[in-house]
This record gives sequence, structure tokens and C-alpha cells, in this order.
Amino acid sequence: MKIKEKLGKEILFFDGAMGTELQSRGLKTGEIPETWNILHPDKIKQVHKEYLLAGANVISANTFGVNTFKCKDMEYTVEQLVTAGIGIVKDAILEVKDELVAQGKKKDELPDMYTALDIGSLGKLLKPLGEIPFEEAYQAFKEVILAGDKAGADVILIETVSDSYEIKAAVLAAKENSDLPVVVTMIFDENGKLLTGGDVASATAMLEGLGVDAIGFNCGLGPEQMLKLLPELTACCSIPIVINPNAGLPSVVNGKTVFNVEPEEFAQKVKFLVEHGASAVGGCCGTTPEHIRRVVETCKNMKLCPITDKNLTVVSSYNHAVYFTRKPLIIGERINPTGKSKFKQALRDHDMEYIYREGLTQEEKGAHILDVNVGLPEIDEPQLMEEAVTGIQAIIDLPLQIDTSDPIAMERALRCYNGKPMLNSVNGKQESMESVFPLAKKYGAVVVCLCLDESGIPETVEGRLAVAEKIVKTAQSYGIPKKNLVMDALVMTISTGKDNALITLEALRRIRYEMGIHTVLGVSNISFGLPERGKVTTTFFTMALQNGLSAGIVNPSSDLLMSAYYSFNALIGEDDQCMEYIEKCGNTAEQPKVAESGKNKELALDEAIIKGLTESAYQATIKLLEGGTDSLTIINEKLIPALDVVGKGFEEKKMFLPQLLMSADAAKASFEAIKKILSKEGKKSEAKGKIVIATVKGDIHDIGKNIVKTLLENYGFEMIDLGKDVDPELILKTVQENNIRLVGLSALMTTTVVNMEETIKLLRKHNVNCRVMVGGAVLTQEYADMIGADFYSKDAMGSVRYANELYEAGEI
Amino acid sequence: MKLKIEDINRREIYRYLGYRGQTPDETVCQMIEEVLRELTRVIQPKYLYQGYQCSIQEDAIRLSDEQHNDVAIFTSMNLAENLNGCHKVILMAATLGIEADKLLQRYEIANMAKASAAQASGAATIEAYCNLIQEEIRQQVMAEGDYIKPRFSPGYGDLPLGAQKTIFQCLECTKRLGLTLTDSLLMYPTKSVTAFIGLTKNKQGCHIAKCSTCKNTGCEFRYED
Repeated sequence: MKIKEKLGKEILFFDGAMGTELQSRGLKTGEIPETWNILHPDKIKQVHKEYLLAGANVISANTFGVNTFKCKDMEYTVEQLVTAGIGIVKDAILEVKDELVAQGKKKDELPDMYTALDIGSLGKLLKPLGEIPFEEAYQAFKEVILAGDKAGADVILIETVSDSYEIKAAVLAAKENSDLPVVVTMIFDENGKLLTGGDVASATAMLEGLGVDAIGFNCGLGPEQMLKLLPELTACCSIPIVINPNAGLPSVVNGKTVFNVEPEEFAQKVKFLVEHGASAVGGCCGTTPEHIRRVVETCKNMKLCPITDKNLTVVSSYNHAVYFTRKPLIIGERINPTGKSKFKQALRDHDMEYIYREGLTQEEKGAHILDVNVGLPEIDEPQLMEEAVTGIQAIIDLPLQIDTSDPIAMERALRCYNGKPMLNSVNGKQESMESVFPLAKKYGAVVVCLCLDESGIPETVEGRLAVAEKIVKTAQSYGIPKKNLVMDALVMTISTGKDNALITLEALRRIRYEMGIHTVLGVSNISFGLPERGKVTTTFFTMALQNGLSAGIVNPSSDLLMSAYYSFNALIGEDDQCMEYIEKCGNTAEQPKVAESGKNKELALDEAIIKGLTESAYQATIKLLEGGTDSLTIINEKLIPALDVVGKGFEEKKMFLPQLLMSADAAKASFEAIKKILSKEGKKSEAKGKIVIATVKGDIHDIGKNIVKTLLENYGFEMIDLGKDVDPELILKTVQENNIRLVGLSALMTTTVVNMEETIKLLRKHNVNCRVMVGGAVLTQEYADMIGADFYSKDAMGSVRYANELYEAGEI
Repeated sequence: MKLKIEDINRREIYRYLGYRGQTPDETVCQMIEEVLRELTRVIQPKYLYQGYQCSIQEDAIRLSDEQHNDVAIFTSMNLAENLNGCHKVILMAATLGIEADKLLQRYEIANMAKASAAQASGAATIEAYCNLIQEEIRQQVMAEGDYIKPRFSPGYGDLPLGAQKTIFQCLECTKRLGLTLTDSLLMYPTKSVTAFIGLTKNKQGCHIAKCSTCKNTGCEFRYED
């Protein structure tokens, strides 16, 4: 019988530790265990056989650490090590079966024995926080999986992993390159957190969505601690659970890490795991064939807990899950260019920070999920969508709702999304369902379904319900259950039809309570064309909540609307002791309008910038603009002179970096005010010139570079920021394509300054007409001269002076 | 072991931000405190360490296990000097975790001044955390009559960053702490430390202020005292 048919139905036993067994057979610390697949296959086989004879059904090949990154330092290829590793397990299984038959066992009574392709972490952190792109991780896993599949593995075991993003790359690689079942066991700490911050619920939501065959825990903890975490998993998991604990928590005795839960005690504790929901059990660090033997003896006749569908509608970010329940949710709608000239301009300018700030604000204002829409006819939406999703999830913890009608943008966003996403949207048109449902199924998204089809938006409640029914039925034919659908009954403004609200509300009620499907609405459409829209929108929002709205797509910065939301929760008993209401709505009266304490007095712009007061600088700028001062005068006569004062103070060591940056932030706010007015008038501020800035290849410390960037922006330069760990070729290409005359390079480590030199050499070699300024903790004037830089900036202000000099000389 | 916000050396934060002995003005101090509260709220620091026998010949430092099997060899004159007279070495690794990097990125979008404070606070926080770990080790080895030497990390003096690879293998840093190593041998999460701590029978004085033992006398961040 195939392992997939057995998982969850009969108890299965995984094997125990490999590393410690090899150490006792002579593997030295520092020696790479996987090389023994080639050097000492007999010793590896011996370990596998001991586990098989102890009763294990699933044997993990000795391939845990095999991947392209680790193989760089070895003399064997990934394929060689994987093929050998799988082959050894298969040999071991044949030999053990023969031995058992020789001992008189009947062939058809032999236990099932399976070969698992064992996959561990790549040892690399993925971008945007880390070093390697998601697709590079995917390719690395793909290489291992292709080799393992070819060599004849029965199951893919992704284990001891702690980064959900890396896990997603591995699972996608498995699903797209093999038909083998996939089991994922993760390493959680005692608080139920992955090392990268995820929790049990978020990881489970993502993995079930991706269609893995079993989920569970291994390593990190002993059976006792895992038992404590198990209820968190069984509460949200609808698929079989696999648990392979360590033999207790590690403790250091005489300088050696030891695990001291003995085999019998281990088996007794593992029994509890099976009683509470594990379908398959085995061991990890510190366990031995004897541990597994006792586990098999103790648990082999146990009945498994039935696996039930928990029927949860859930989305997740990398670190938490958000459930659709009785308590409604807020989906922030602000990352969307529709009707926003400033947002459109930001998209055209590739101003990602603008998008991120919109996200941060909504998170702060209480959104639970963020809608992300970056569609504009004139931009490359798939590219920008991928960039936005990747960038937002690096800094914001909320789950995202991917909002696009472009199927390519949709798939790229779904692919790079770190969690179980929401997808906006599908509708009842055949074409829409055919393009969206396969993607939703593959990536496990919760899909927003619009109740419209080829014949438009039905005008009656029954019409909308009929479309909803059709969508549900079609979704099911793609294997998408009701729990992964959220219906949008559609909101039409009441200014064009007096019954529009009532139709929506009734459809909403029946979808939620008769069809049993969660609901969502783009609430603000209701008031389109009316004055004082917020009032109508908020009232309608409250009515919709009462009629079964599960999530409103709204602007969380609207105090009126959010007050209605918190009040509603308190009124329906979903706010314990009204704590949230009190926190969010209770003391608005006490807060002065200007948050900057003691500075209620209005400040002049230059003073606000010198003192580093962001809000005051913003208000002062608005006031100047409203008073008729043009933006250029504000910049040249107020803003820049104020920045100069601070810059000079900094250079004279009378002011310090935080003050310099507070002023820079205040100046930035002033620019925001100017940009806001300009974009209303359809104008754009003129930049002094473009400068490329980058932290060099190999270096990951980029705050210094970011400080320089902020200051140069303040002084009116347009910055092309290539980020950190930047390839010299990319710098050259950017310089050439944009006809750049000044490049700023930073490096913090002596080991990476060499790459600064490489970059300069490359630029010189291609004879580009551009100057290079350099900076960073380990640099000196001498060194800068040596590597051929044009200018050494000892601090952030130095680069401003240099750029200004070049600008005044007409050289940039 | 719990890291408390008061364990974090404010003077060190000020120093990283370019203050030389001065205390920042009230606004800046308040901002730093706010950033520290947020930082200590979001991070999940983790650590581990393991002891080895050690023998030193000139610039070769040989670590071995209890059964005298060689575990690793490092080459560094400065490390050898640091470990002079030590019969054992403890390898340690500690990290504030990925949340510290995430917080820094958030601040870089929203507030550069706070980002600089977070960078400095993160550096001071991982130092404070290492000091706590070191104190735990000191108390533990005291029972056996051992004293500890100042901790010494790859990249100090002539100990190459390449030593990271070996330390990562010995301590299983990726599996147990979630640490990763870039091709250029830097660590992610960035607020992480690996170090050697020598054990000696000779009584030691200060083992926290490392500036006095550092050869880089021109360093901008060197303690004045």
C-alpha cells in the first residue's frame, strides 16, 4: 500500500536520529554526514536496518544537508549524494525484508517500509530580509527533489525547518516536480514559535493551503513539550499529524549536549502524543533504535484519533493567522491607486516607500488584512505586484489580499507570498473562474467571489444568490472547498437606486446565514456621488455588520467608521469587558491634536526642521503653500537653509546623528506636503540630478547607505537605491542605462571593501563618465584613494557637500 | 535567562550614535527609550554554548571533545593570545532573532532617526545579552575553579570570518538558533554573535570591557577610559 493511503488511517512509525548514530560509528564533528553515503554506505545502511528492525516504517535517507549551497564545499554533487542516500535505504529495506522472511515471517505479513527523501534547511535566509531570492531557494530544492524522485523515494520529508518562506519554496518545488506525497515537520520553540517568528496556526494555514499530505513537529523539543503544543495544532489542522520529538530538551553536561529521556519513558510520552492526535511518530536528536523499538511496542495497536475538517476560513502572514469568525475583520483598502493621484504618481515613480507607508499606517490604525492593488495601465503590473508583496511582507505582519485582474500578476504575487493569502477576486464569469480557480487551488488562497457574471450584476437578491451558488459549485469542481471562498454581494451606490443598499444587505444575510459562507464588501461604494460620504458609509457598514458581514474592505484611517466597528463588536459581545472599545475609542478627547508635547505653539518651518518636529514641519509647509508661497521658494529659502544649519552643527559635533536624522525626517514631511499640493495640480517637483547608491556585494549592513540616501533626497537629488549586497554588474548597468554621473558606495566590513574596489574597477573599465564616492565604517581617505574612489565621505554630510559641489559645477 | 531593558547599556547606544561621552538631549533620549521598549518587546533572543578541550601551539588552536577527538582547528595569533593559559574553550552563539531586523526595516521606512536608534540599540542589546550569557557561564565554571577570558569573535584581530563556518557546524547554529551565514560569511539575523570564551585556572580581572584588549587603538568607538 502506498504511504499516502496509510497516512492518518493506520499508525506509522518514523525512524530516529541519524547524526548521533553516525558519531558513535566514527563520524567526526565537522565531517559532513552525507559524504558517508559515498564513503561508508555500509555504516549508513546499518543504521537504517537497525531502525527497520526496531519497527520503523518510514526511513529517512541520509540527505538532510544535501543542497547546492552545502555541496559547494564538497567533492560530490547533489545528485550523487541524493541518489546514493536513497539507494542505501532501499537496499536496507530489501535486506531487512529478506531477513524477516528467513526468520519465518510470511511475505504478506511484513510491515510496510517506505523510503523518505529527507530535506532540511538550506542554511540561507531568503530575501527581502536575507540573502537569496525565493526562486533561488526553489531551484535548490528542485534539484534535490528531482534527484530523489528519480532515485525512487516514496515520500518527501521536509523537516527541521523553521522559516515558513523557505518551507513554501520547498513545498512548491516538491509539488511542481514530483507526484510524491509531502510531509512537513517544523521546529518550534517552547512558546510555539518558529525561529523566524511564525506560529503553529500560521504555518498550518499556509501548508494545508499548499496541499501537503501531513504536518507536524520535529526536533527542538522533547515529547513532553510537544504534547503541550499539540492542542494548538489539532485545533486548526485538518490533515494527518506527524511528530518526531527529540529525546528530551538538550542539556549541556561536561560541555557536551545530551538528551536524557530514556527509551521507555520516551515511549510512554509518545503514547500521549498519539492519544492526542498524532498519526505518525518517531524520533529526532538523541533517539536511538531502542527508543523507536519501545515506541513501536507501546503504540502499534493504538487507535488513531479521527481527522476532522476544522472548516476554518483562515488567511495568514508569516507570523500569525487571521480567522473569519463571528467577530468581523477590517481589510485595509488604501494600497490602491483608484482615484488617488498621489498614489498613481508614486507607482509611476516606483516610490515603493510610499506604498509601504500606506501599509504601516493601516496596520497602526487597526487593519487585520491589507488589500494590495498596484494596477495602472502604463506600468509593468506583474513586476510591481511581486515587488510590493515581497517588500510589504518584509516589514508588515498582516496577511495580504492580492488584488489584481491580471492572472500573471496574480500568480507572481501568490508565489512569493509568505503565508496563506487572500485573493481579490473571481466572479461568476466562466473566463474568470477558469483563470483564477486553478491558481487559488494551487496556492491555497481564500478567494473573494463577486456575485456578478456574463449578464452583469443581478438586480435582485435571488439573482446574486444564484451567481453565488454557481461560483461555489464551480469552485468545488476545482477542489476548492466553501471555507476558502468569501462572497462579495456587491455594493452599488444608493445615489443611483434607492433599493441598492437593501438588496445588498439581504443578499449578504442569506449568503452568510443560509449558504454558510463568509462575506466581504467594498463598503464605501454605497455613498458614491453623495456629500459627506463618511456618514452614509459608516451607517451602511454598521447595517452590513448586523446582516452578517464578515470583513469590510474599508479605510481604517476613518475614525468615524472604526468607532462604529469597535462599538459594534462591544455591542455583540465580541469585546471582553469592552476593553478594545475603551482602548481605541475611550480617550480620544484627552489627546491634544498636535501630538508633539509642549509644542502646541505653531512653529515656523525652519524652526520645525531644526528641532526635528515632523508634524509641525508638515503643517508649517501646508500653511506656507496655502498662503501663496511657491514650493521652490519654500525649498530654497526655508527648507535647505534649515537643513544646512543642522548639517553644520553635525559637522562641528554640536549636533549628533539622531538630531540630523530627525531634521531629515521633518524635511521629508515638508516635502510630502509640497508633493501633495503639486500632484493635486498635476505637477512634479524637479530633481537636481540622479544619484545611484548601493551597499556593495557581500555586505548586508545598509543603514549607513540609507542615511546618506535620506539626506541626499532632502537636498533634492533623485536617488536610485539598489539596496544591499549589490552585484557590480547591476551597478554598472544602472549607471549606463540612466546616464548617471555620481555613484555612492558603502561597505562596512574589511572583507567587503574588496567588492567596492571591484565595483570601481568595473565602472572604470567600461569608461563610464561617472564619479564614485565611498563611505563606511572601515574606510579611510587612504584606502579610498587606493581603490580609486573620487571622494571619501567620512560621514553622511560629506556626501551632501560633495554632491552639491558637483551640482553647482554643473557636473551632475 | 531573561534580558531586562535595564541591562542594556545606554552609554553604549549613545556611543554608537556618535556621542562621545555626552548624554543626548531629552528628545533623543526619549526616542531611544521608546525604540528600546519596542525592540525588547518584539525580539525573541536565543543562545547556546558548548565546551571543548583546547590545546594551543603557536597560532593553532585545536578543540577536541571529551574523548580527545579533534573537533576543529582555528588559526589565529590573536585568538591564541586571548586563549593563552586556557585548558578549555566555550563556543557560544546568540541572536536577537529576525524580528530585530524587521523592526529596523520598518523604522527605515517610517522614521530614519528611530532607525539609527534601533541600529545602535540592537547592537547594545545583543552585547548585553552576550554579557548575561557570559555571566551564566562564569558562575557555572566557577565551581570547577575556572575563570573566563574576554570573549573573542571571528573578525577580531587576525581571526578570519571563515571561522564562522566551523562554529556553525560545531553548534548547529542554523538548526538550533535559526542563524544563517551569507556567502560573504556574515550572519542573518544580523544582530547575532558567535564567540570563543576561554577557561583558565588563572584569576582574571575584567572580562566585559573589551576595548582594553583590542589592537585597534584608532577605533572611533573605543572607550575613552
